[in-house]
Amino acid sequence: MLIGFDLLDRQIVDRDAEPVGKVDDVELEYDERGDAYVTGLLAGQQALGERIGGRLGRWISAVARRMSEPPDQPPIRIGYDLVAEVTSAVSLSVARELLPDPPLEGWLATHLIGRIPGAGDA
Amino acid sequence: MKRLLSIALGILTAIGGFVDIGDIVANAEAGARFGIAHAWVLLVGVVGICAYAEMSGRVSAVSGRPVFDLVRERLGPRVALANLGGSLLVTVLTLGAEIGGVGLALQLATSVSYLLWVPLVAFVLWVVLWRAKFTVLENVFGLTGLALVVFVIAFFRLGVSPAELWHPGPPPGEDWGTYWFFAVALFASALTPYEVFFFSSGAVEERWSRKDLLTSRVNVFVGFPLGGLLAFALMLTSAAVFQPLGASVDTLSQAAMPAAIAFGKIGMAVAILGFFAATFGAAMETALSTGYTVAQYLGWNWGKLRRPREAARFHTVVIIGILVGVAVLFTTIDPIQLTEYTLLFSAVALPLTYLPILVVANDRGYLGDRANGRFANVLGVTYLIVVVLAAVAAVPLMIITRMGGG
Repeated sequence: MLIGFDLLDRQIVDRDAEPVGKVDDVELEYDERGDAYVTGLLAGQQALGERIGGRLGRWISAVARRMSEPPDQPPIRIGYDLVAEVTSAVSLSVARELLPDPPLEGWLATHLIGRIPGAGDA
Repeated sequence: MKRLLSIALGILTAIGGFVDIGDIVANAEAGARFGIAHAWVLLVGVVGICAYAEMSGRVSAVSGRPVFDLVRERLGPRVALANLGGSLLVTVLTLGAEIGGVGLALQLATSVSYLLWVPLVAFVLWVVLWRAKFTVLENVFGLTGLALVVFVIAFFRLGVSPAELWHPGPPPGEDWGTYWFFAVALFASALTPYEVFFFSSGAVEERWSRKDLLTSRVNVFVGFPLGGLLAFALMLTSAAVFQPLGASVDTLSQAAMPAAIAFGKIGMAVAILGFFAATFGAAMETALSTGYTVAQYLGWNWGKLRRPREAARFHTVVIIGILVGVAVLFTTIDPIQLTEYTLLFSAVALPLTYLPILVVANDRGYLGDRANGRFANVLGVTYLIVVVLAAVAAVPLMIITRMGGG
């Protein structure tokens, strides 16, 4: 598998095919022979901003870091042992509820969208 | 009836591309000034959007991935971000123009200035997107937009032969620069990027799977030609009515005139209803596409299938899109002119949207035995070249012809 081609920037979905995030970056480790292997997926605008780089990337990353709850958390990490299958999406073996919540989604759901009548109706 | 409703997605998508506010007037204006010399552009546009919408519908049905997922995967975060920027500018400016367009249709019916309608239209638009189910949106606005068929019938009533309206190139008094400006504008509007964003995301919202490939194809091959036909009818009737008079068309009320001349007040009323539904449908298409592209670039939850609380970021982006659109209109810029400016940003967004669709449509990892055949690839590559040429030509043509002013 090619990390850049088959893994990076793919959609991550949970056990029920619900969106979790994108593979914004990957975490690598080296074994005793010096071969790299993937230990985790990093998701969220913080990791994305660092990969985009430049002034815009640093700005995206800084805003995301500021918004994390509590502030200055590291990016959301999903251990590679939770990955069930890599096809056109990266499917996890767990439900989304067991993973850390994306900070912006929670904040908007509580303070903006959740307050509008009908927010709980499909 | 069920058969008819199952193609509503294709019809609504096509209406947003071919007969939204800018196109209604652009087609009528092209007809008045050039006769049906631009009819071939509509044909070329229909074939192009059919080729790419078919690919994107197929990828979504088989893999469940909408178009902006593909853009991000194949182009990487940086180039995809440039595409996102260009697409958002096109989509949000068009959204503003469509809200203004609904206001203009209401102004025709009530004589109350469109700017007073704008806040109300924007609010109703948001309520509809917040509350109504996706299938209801498609069915109501896709099918009501078909009221524009009145222009097809009006053509037969007017009894002019198309041969009289056709001449190769610009008639006396017009030049090749303006001729090509209209050609590029009509072509670009046929292939606007939000059509494939909306169509492929709609396919996911409707939970299409491998067994819906036929539905997807029928949607594409009925919906887009129908949109092209409506656009052609506007051009044709406008040519029949206005060209002999040497009159020019630049407002929505003038674009409605052929229907009024053919059928009197009833024709006018049906034309206004069609304009209202088409522009409102295009407003929904662009508002949702704003949310779809941002959410799909960043991997967020999106769509009307979920409760708004469970797609809070998506709904927030849609609200911001509508507010920005309204803010643009309140500068009192002409909504019809506004869609012409989006050409500039299409130049960035179009090639960067269609290239990843073409690449993934060939990827057997996604599509297995449903990958592109040779015919789809020849069409796809040809149109990619045409799109790039049109994108390169757009800006110089805008400057030389002063936005088609001549």
